[in-house]
Amino acid sequence: MKNIYTKLSLVALGLSTSLYSQADVRINGFANLTAGITTEDTELDGYTDSIDFSHASLFALQFSGDVTDKVTATAQVVARGSNNYEADFEWAYLTYAHDNNSTYTIGRFRLPVFRYSDSLDVGYSYHWITAPQTVYDVAFNNLNGVRYDYSNYSGDLEYLFRFSYGNYEDEIAGGLNAGDDVVLISAEATYNSFKGRLVWGRGNNVFTSPTLDQSVSAFVNGVAQAVGGVDNIPAGVNALVDDILIEDDEGVFLGLGLEFDNFNWFVSGEWTSITLEDSFSPKDVAYYVTAGTRIGKWTPHITYQARDGEDDIKFQDRVASLPAPFQPGAAMFSGGLQTFFFEDYSLITIGARYDLMQNVALKFEVTKYDNKIEPQINPGDAVDTELLNFSVNYVF
Amino acid sequence: MLKKYIIALGLLVITNTALAELVVVVNPANSNALNEKVVQRIFLGKDKKFADGTETIAVNLVGDNALRAQFDQDILGRSSSQVAAYWSKLVFTGKGIPPKEVSSDADVIDLVAKNPSVIGYIDRSSVTDAVKVVEL
Repeated sequence: MKNIYTKLSLVALGLSTSLYSQADVRINGFANLTAGITTEDTELDGYTDSIDFSHASLFALQFSGDVTDKVTATAQVVARGSNNYEADFEWAYLTYAHDNNSTYTIGRFRLPVFRYSDSLDVGYSYHWITAPQTVYDVAFNNLNGVRYDYSNYSGDLEYLFRFSYGNYEDEIAGGLNAGDDVVLISAEATYNSFKGRLVWGRGNNVFTSPTLDQSVSAFVNGVAQAVGGVDNIPAGVNALVDDILIEDDEGVFLGLGLEFDNFNWFVSGEWTSITLEDSFSPKDVAYYVTAGTRIGKWTPHITYQARDGEDDIKFQDRVASLPAPFQPGAAMFSGGLQTFFFEDYSLITIGARYDLMQNVALKFEVTKYDNKIEPQINPGDAVDTELLNFSVNYVF
Repeated sequence: MLKKYIIALGLLVITNTALAELVVVVNPANSNALNEKVVQRIFLGKDKKFADGTETIAVNLVGDNALRAQFDQDILGRSSSQVAAYWSKLVFTGKGIPPKEVSSDADVIDLVAKNPSVIGYIDRSSVTDAVKVVEL
């Protein structure tokens, strides 16, 4: 799929350079060089207690050219430290500006899920080093599809509606999540210093992960052995496996964002919820609240963020309906898998942005991680730690 | 003697800075009614057309020009860094291109005089017949 878009965008760029030779190809770029280290012997956000300079660093180039006066081709090539700085076409799309208010986009583009989705990789565009991960770390940041944007204003009230449709595939939670028939509707309004956002989305999901596959096959094989063959597996067992797995199951996203920013100081927050009812995945609720003030070149700020992905164990009725000999094993399988993916933690970050030059910002942050999951459930997540980060953000 | 001269020069510079009065200018053929809000929308890439339907082309002074900082603060209501951060959001989503930057009032006058779509700002003392001052 990626190749198709790569080719598409090259064709589009080729068009804008060769056929319409009068058209300029604009080249912009941005870079984040970020370092981080934890104070404890653990792993947080990819950082450990030995300093890391690369995994959150990235370098990106954007090419855009006007194909006609209404159609623009844009491609963004991003080289991420976490991917050994291999360059990838993360976005490649054509935009058709129907009029001053309506725009159609086709290709691979950023899905407008969050307040800072559009410029998520451009560290320069916000005060943090990275946008709050409890909220922003989702599999559906980029979409292959179409988007319709409508923006207008009346007096001091500005509003924007965006309707997106398409599909995606991305790594998350140690596996691969693919979403089909994804629909996302977002509405945004700005009134002077106030901004509000409402987002609703849904998609059909397929999730695969080695951990999940191993657990399922171990459970099914165990049952099969006990009953003397795959064909004799009780229907309830297959139904339970179907309950657990994310196989074409509907996921629903809700998002709410509020912001006040008068350019001297700001306070804002986002709240999101992701539900995948017919699956092992717990309902995930995440939010953050951030505030800061701008004093000359300095922007000191503070952020509290939390994710609650700990739920009641689902499908207990299904387990109880199984023949008695299978119940203990089924309960362990179902409950174990669900708790394995439980998350409940919060982070407090204190930091500052310093605008060194008009296109360069320096940032420092100290983050305190507080895990709320019982250590016996997920020992790996259990160590509380502080994280120190430093970043240079550049745009050109 | 030299010292006095330097002090006098210093005073001159200070008075000059204090006297710099920013005015928004358009082509004399541009008769659209403009207020501070509309100028702000044009320079933030939100209004791409004047009321009469003509395309808008905003022209900025370069970042190290004192008048630019004044324009960003007084008209756009934010620091030049915040304006740059604003544009970085639009540029990297293909939603806008920041205004072209020129280095002097004379360059602004030249562009405004040539094209009825162009809107810029200069020091009032630089105004010539080639441009029309928009009183905000």
